[in-house]
Amino acid sequence: MFALNFKFSVIALELLFLIAGIFFFLIDKFIRNKNYAFYLTFFIIILCFGFLLFTPFGDFARAYQRDFYSATIQLFLLIGALLVVLISYAFLQEFKALNYGEFYALFLFSLIGSFIMVASQDLLTLYLGMELMSIPVYFLIASSFVYNRNSIEGSLKYFIAGAIASALIILGLALVYYSVGLLSLKEIFVQLAQGLKKRELLLALLLILAGFSIKLSLVPFHMWAPDAYQASPLPVTAFLAGIVKFALISAFIKIMMIGFSPLRIELGTFLLPISLLTILIGSLLAIKQDNIVRMLAYSSIAHVGYASLGILSGDYLGYGFIIFYMLVYLFTTIGVFGLLIYLSRLKREYLEIPSMAGVSKSLPLVSFLVLILFFSLAGVPPTAGFMAKFYIFITLLKGNLIWVAILSLLFSVIGAYPYLRVIKVIYMDSPPYEVERGEYAVSLFAPIILSVLVVILWGIYPKPAVDFIQRTLYLYMSMLLFHF
Amino acid sequence: MLVIPNLLSLILWLPLVGIVLIFLVPRKKEDLIKKIALLTAFVDFLFSIILLINFDYNEKGFQFVEKWLWLDYLNSYYFLGVDGISILFVPLSTLVTVLCILISWRSITDKVKEFYLALLFTNIAMVGVFLSLDLLLFYLFWEALLIPMYLIIGIWGGPRRIYSTIKFFLYTFFGSIFMLLAIIYLFLQYGTFDYTALLGKTFQPHIEKLLFLGFLIAFAIKVPMWPVHTWLPDAHTEAPTAGSVILAGILIKLGGYGMIRFLIPLFPHATLYFAKLILILSIIAIIYAGLACLWQSDLKRLIAYSSVSHMGFVTLGIFSLNPIGVKGAILQMINHGVVTGALFMCVGVIYDRTHSRAISYYGGLATTFPLYAAFFMIFTLASIGLPGTNGFIGEFLILLGTFLSNKTVAALAATGVIIGAAYMLWLYQRVFFMRPSQGVYNLQPMKWNELIALIPMIGLVFLIGFYPNPFLDFMRTSVFHLLSNLR
Repeated sequence: MFALNFKFSVIALELLFLIAGIFFFLIDKFIRNKNYAFYLTFFIIILCFGFLLFTPFGDFARAYQRDFYSATIQLFLLIGALLVVLISYAFLQEFKALNYGEFYALFLFSLIGSFIMVASQDLLTLYLGMELMSIPVYFLIASSFVYNRNSIEGSLKYFIAGAIASALIILGLALVYYSVGLLSLKEIFVQLAQGLKKRELLLALLLILAGFSIKLSLVPFHMWAPDAYQASPLPVTAFLAGIVKFALISAFIKIMMIGFSPLRIELGTFLLPISLLTILIGSLLAIKQDNIVRMLAYSSIAHVGYASLGILSGDYLGYGFIIFYMLVYLFTTIGVFGLLIYLSRLKREYLEIPSMAGVSKSLPLVSFLVLILFFSLAGVPPTAGFMAKFYIFITLLKGNLIWVAILSLLFSVIGAYPYLRVIKVIYMDSPPYEVERGEYAVSLFAPIILSVLVVILWGIYPKPAVDFIQRTLYLYMSMLLFHF
Repeated sequence: MLVIPNLLSLILWLPLVGIVLIFLVPRKKEDLIKKIALLTAFVDFLFSIILLINFDYNEKGFQFVEKWLWLDYLNSYYFLGVDGISILFVPLSTLVTVLCILISWRSITDKVKEFYLALLFTNIAMVGVFLSLDLLLFYLFWEALLIPMYLIIGIWGGPRRIYSTIKFFLYTFFGSIFMLLAIIYLFLQYGTFDYTALLGKTFQPHIEKLLFLGFLIAFAIKVPMWPVHTWLPDAHTEAPTAGSVILAGILIKLGGYGMIRFLIPLFPHATLYFAKLILILSIIAIIYAGLACLWQSDLKRLIAYSSVSHMGFVTLGIFSLNPIGVKGAILQMINHGVVTGALFMCVGVIYDRTHSRAISYYGGLATTFPLYAAFFMIFTLASIGLPGTNGFIGEFLILLGTFLSNKTVAALAATGVIIGAAYMLWLYQRVFFMRPSQGVYNLQPMKWNELIALIPMIGLVFLIGFYPNPFLDFMRTSVFHLLSNLR
């Protein structure tokens, strides 16, 4: 046992977010023009890119560690956060009752949680990070109460599901503590590698998995997702679908990569049916949805199913591909929600799929962007969505899971239909009336165009991104025992 | 001789220039958009003719090879090349694109910009499929073709277009995932997507059969072979003229091309094992689809079913597994692209004027619209396979090849020719002879774009019909080489 060190420079990012969030809460009452919050948040996030480069690697109180893995994941989260903040500006201009500093403050707090989660060195920190990430989101979902009476219902559903998840994870942690005496991931690995306490730790892992599957909306626990998605303001949905899920998956990969890696085969037997069912149910239920946000909620369930299939492979190449998959999904989903914000600003009814009929006639550019992003979600080349799925299938076949690969490929055909349907409605149905074309706000279209470009670029040439992620994981794994 | 470096990449990506230019043109300037599209497609066609001229047909390997590393973790290359099997399809694809642009000059009035973008994108994907020698690259183009076709059928198609286009998309998407699995399996086994490196590898017998079936499902759905042909009549019928022409001219050739390119050389034992089965399916396709043609009441649907029948001949020729049959099959694919494409254009010409595809609507067109009747007659006869037209050469070679390997099958297939004559001639009689019906008077004469689109097709019909040797020369060495390592 050596002394804890408190290097505050390591957690400079989180501190900055914390100060900014508190500042918003304190000062917001006194500022008339509420747009200041957007500019400040934007500025802080840009600043954080610089911080991310210059903060040293190392650990904080042996709970939080900045290393290759966490720095990379935090970079991706930060990019996602930047895009979400940009698209939320246009949204809040329209929905003024939400336009308060608190919106951004809660957003930043949630981001702190996700940062802590992916950088945590022990399970307790991870759990606390997860709670810190989730609780502001409950508020954010409910915040659209003025416009959408159902938002309380969605928020409460998510809250209750999240509380159950917390309970399960805490149970798991208790079991881990009971059997190992510590919550550190490395310590768990040490015990497991010696073949000790396997049964207790497996039970603990399954409890943790159950908690994570509630948060990730894997299938037996997916019921909260459509309601919560539909109820929340659109940028928050984008945050929930893109960033929160990305952070959760990365954290779970971390657990599997360091702590419980000797149990990966046992975990696979449980995760396999769950993932396949998730893909199937997510794809099937998406077919009949008329509300596009609900449809995207089910599609996000299915996408997380694909990503969790990658965990079955149990090697770090596979984990890298999951991260790539979720990264592509993050970009795509933020782009899609950006477009939905644009559409909903024109007409509130545009969130219902049938009323989108013939939008392409008056909004050709927007429809074209929807087309590219939706083909990417459906996994048709040459888009990044295909490449991401392709890598996942490669890991599956590499792990000799041929039947799983065949089934998931078949499900992906089912899963393509909902997207085709939206494209059909937009392009092929005849419009009932002409629509005025709204202005193309830069803050809204810059992130959309960026995500579309990323989707096309990585569809044709995914090598730089995949290499970057794989190298990160390789460096992380090889320097695991190195104490910074 | 004109030598151009990276000619294949040039042909492949040239339409991208057109795409970018069309993007920049405001959508009000429809004429400019059409002209840009036509010019790009035509220049692309000229380049593919240069490719044809520079092709050395005594060389048995791949020519004009371009190979750059693309994804290094996957060991995948940007790897292009042509040989005698694919060379003829490249100018055919670019030609079909030019003709599609011409034939849609007046008939597409809605969303003009998107239409020409989709057409040029289709061109890239089609040419890419024929040129790529890397399996992943091949799959990428193969699937990418679905996007513009989905849109072309779905946006500019007929009344039941949405049902048809979604059926088309899901059917082919479903088929190609099995091919994707087989491709990934090959990669994991041998660590490469490189087609030339995979040649001559051996597999365990049952694995080889499974891989063969994986590829076969994708190709059979594209061709389409008999039990999985049901998407084609719908898609063909509801597609706009240009869409039908692309479907008939190129898209369904991809299946046949894939069979020759991948199934036979990569899995020779499985090919021999499954050849009988495919011959039987082809016979069923020829006869069943031919009979189905006899009771169609819709012009386009009839021609669509005739496509199924003709493609039955193609698969028959391929799996007769002797050089004559395979050469016949390749030539017949070109012929079918020319003839059926032209027939669809002809139907498009009359549909633009009367807005009816029902056979019973017409009658006596020969008296009211004689020039058109002459065009249609030529293509009808070519479709039947009259000596002197290209259809004859293709079908004759296929039947000859089949006869050499299996006499019963050849005899059965020959009945398909008779059925073909029956339905085409009966169609011609019902539409063009008999008493003129109400709707066929005062039709506008044929426009310049329609004439320009149809005349090259007539040229090809007679050129291949009377002097097929240059075309066969292109593929002679490659086909011989292809079949030499069988058995």
